[in-house]
Amino acid sequence: MGGVGDDEPASKRMKLSSEELRRLSNGSTLKEPIVGSSRDLMARPLQSEGGEEVVGSKGVIKKVEFVRIIAKALYSLGYIKSGAHLEEESGIALQSSIVNEFMRQILEGDWDESVVTLHNIGLTDEITIKSACFLILEQKFFEFLDEEKVMDALKTLRTEISPLCINHSRVRELSLFIVSPSCCFSVRSPKQDTSRARSRIELLEELQKLLPPTVMIPERRLEHLVEQALVLQRDACMFHNSLDKEMSLYADHQCARDQIPSSALQILQAHTDEIWSLQFSHNGKYLASSSNDCTAIIWEVDANGVSLKHKLSGHQKPVSSVSWSPNDHQLLTCGVEEVVRRWDVSSGECLHVYEKAGLGMVSCGWSPDGKWVFSGVNDKSISMWELDGKELECWKGQRTLKISDLEITSDGKQIISMCRETSILLLDREAKVERFIEEDQTITSFSLSRDNRFLLVNLLNQEIHLWNIEGDPKLVSEYRGHKRTRFLIRSCFGGLEQAFIASGSEDSLVYIWHRDTGELIESLPGHSGAVNCVGWNPANPQMLASASDDRTIRIWGLNNLSAKRKDTRSNGIHHCNGSS
Amino acid sequence: MDVDPRLYELIAVNDNDIHNIVMSYLVHNCFKETVESFISCTGMKQPSDRLEDMETRKRIYQFALEGNALKAIELTEQLAANLLEKNKDLHFDLLSLYFVEQVCSRKCTEALEFAQMKLTPFGKEQKYVEKLEDFMALLAYEEPEKSPMFHLLSLEYRQHVADSLNRAILAHANHPTYTAMERLIQQTTVVRHCLNQERGKDGPHPFSLKDFLKS
Repeated sequence: MGGVGDDEPASKRMKLSSEELRRLSNGSTLKEPIVGSSRDLMARPLQSEGGEEVVGSKGVIKKVEFVRIIAKALYSLGYIKSGAHLEEESGIALQSSIVNEFMRQILEGDWDESVVTLHNIGLTDEITIKSACFLILEQKFFEFLDEEKVMDALKTLRTEISPLCINHSRVRELSLFIVSPSCCFSVRSPKQDTSRARSRIELLEELQKLLPPTVMIPERRLEHLVEQALVLQRDACMFHNSLDKEMSLYADHQCARDQIPSSALQILQAHTDEIWSLQFSHNGKYLASSSNDCTAIIWEVDANGVSLKHKLSGHQKPVSSVSWSPNDHQLLTCGVEEVVRRWDVSSGECLHVYEKAGLGMVSCGWSPDGKWVFSGVNDKSISMWELDGKELECWKGQRTLKISDLEITSDGKQIISMCRETSILLLDREAKVERFIEEDQTITSFSLSRDNRFLLVNLLNQEIHLWNIEGDPKLVSEYRGHKRTRFLIRSCFGGLEQAFIASGSEDSLVYIWHRDTGELIESLPGHSGAVNCVGWNPANPQMLASASDDRTIRIWGLNNLSAKRKDTRSNGIHHCNGSS
Repeated sequence: MDVDPRLYELIAVNDNDIHNIVMSYLVHNCFKETVESFISCTGMKQPSDRLEDMETRKRIYQFALEGNALKAIELTEQLAANLLEKNKDLHFDLLSLYFVEQVCSRKCTEALEFAQMKLTPFGKEQKYVEKLEDFMALLAYEEPEKSPMFHLLSLEYRQHVADSLNRAILAHANHPTYTAMERLIQQTTVVRHCLNQERGKDGPHPFSLKDFLKS
């Protein structure tokens, strides 16, 4: 769909600047005479309804804009001659001559002339014009101060800047600079902290942001558009789970399914009863699992696979949960309505037992600085202890349920706990502000994303809900497919940049969804009992672990057979594979 | 529900007390001639030391009110040597009066120089920086009366500064800084307010001097 006049020799083509083209389509008269007569112009039909030529198959890219941003990109890459040549050959000027004049005046510091030019550029919005004048005059002001011409600066402020009657608070700040031009009082909090004039190039960039893009094209616009497209492709890629998948401009990005762990690489059998919970350490080098057999096990993860490191015995009751210290040197385990034990990872020794007379613990966790531990108690309170066992605080209140999950955000600011059967409390410890997540169904468990922004909530009715917990909690996604009727099933975030959600299920399968689209990607068979908990290795996006009633832990990884396969097709879609 | 006026009859008020209240007001506000005439009318004892100090204070107050801050400062230093050193806020406010005068007479260069020499040294402390900004902003406008900080040019502001200076001088000489009359009115208002808060609708109304004087 090119222009009709494309096969005409170059000399006959109309050379109109974009500004003149625009004026023409607005029906206003031209200031300068056009090359050639108006009859020639009428003979050349314009393509789309708006009277402008378009390129591309969908007819949404305006040719004038396209050429201008390419020219801009050429200039910013340093190809000045090419840029100028493009402007000449296409007949489309990057900027109207008046804008070029304006830019030159700014860079050379002809402030008064630039203000005049500004008024002639053809802006319609009063406020924009005034704001731009303000920026220019502010630069003039600061450059006077730099040259120690204090009275000139004062004159500029009084006679040129203040009469604009905008931004009075900035006028206030500027007046302070007059009396102390060299540097401002160091006690001041930095607002706009330029006491020296900034560079004229920075001023130009600031003006570019202020003025409408039709007047001055923003810097790096083409690069921005291309990046947008690449990001969209990557987000749409449901199986994107490997860092070394580079994106290319030559073909749309799409990973094959083989990036997701889907093959059981190892089966760990060491527990003698149902395994209820597991968690990888933060550095991904260890895995901890806890079981109905009253023990917890620390496994070591290395290049050869997963092997047993320590079996932690001592609890008299089944161990319901585990929690790694922030530095992964220690582990907390919680016996069901019993005690919380703290273990040393390298030696396997029990370092401390936290208990409360007559009461039982139901959950455990660490503070982000590793200096204290907390646990939910079955009298609906939450206790905090220093490592040596000294009790620091005890929150009572609306805590509920025996299975009370508890999380602290990694900045230590928010505490997230179950509040009622259908709601979760988000407590800001400093501001003492409470926010709530309200569900219609009973909540069975939840987990926090690594960036503290999202909460994954498991519900009684077999749905998993993803909530955005920044600001007012908002429901973002729902995941379905797995089975949960009688038991507590846990789910987790995982994969590269936590782009996936995994969950156990009572039908013995492990379920994996793509987080953003909510689509079910995999359901992995293998276990012979309900899968109670899954964990995704934070250091290895291709390793997943699942814990089941069948007393085993399965370690899932990539299906190695597909690693050798290469698939290319002629429609330009490139399948990524596991080999680099 | 207001206080029953008949209860007032039960309280006897001593004439001497009233005289003292009036006297304290007159002395505070430097009405020297009125004081002399009041003394001769009532036969009160003359507060000897106060008369001279009244004369000085009156002059200082007048200068401050006019905006002639430098003169006010000079006299204050004579009267009480390190008073301004101890009251930095007051010192700043007085200097600002001079600055404002320069600005009003459109003497920008002088105002600027004065500010640089005298006012900016205060800027080392954070709380003065904002005040300084307020005043400097006056310089930014060709018509400071129309600027956002126009209230700094007003009589009310000068009165406020002059009052503060007066109180500081009184405090320095260990005299009471508030007149008995002021305190009495303040007392009544505060007490009424507390009762009002405690008793809510059943308690007495907040004190209004205007209504009181009418009744």
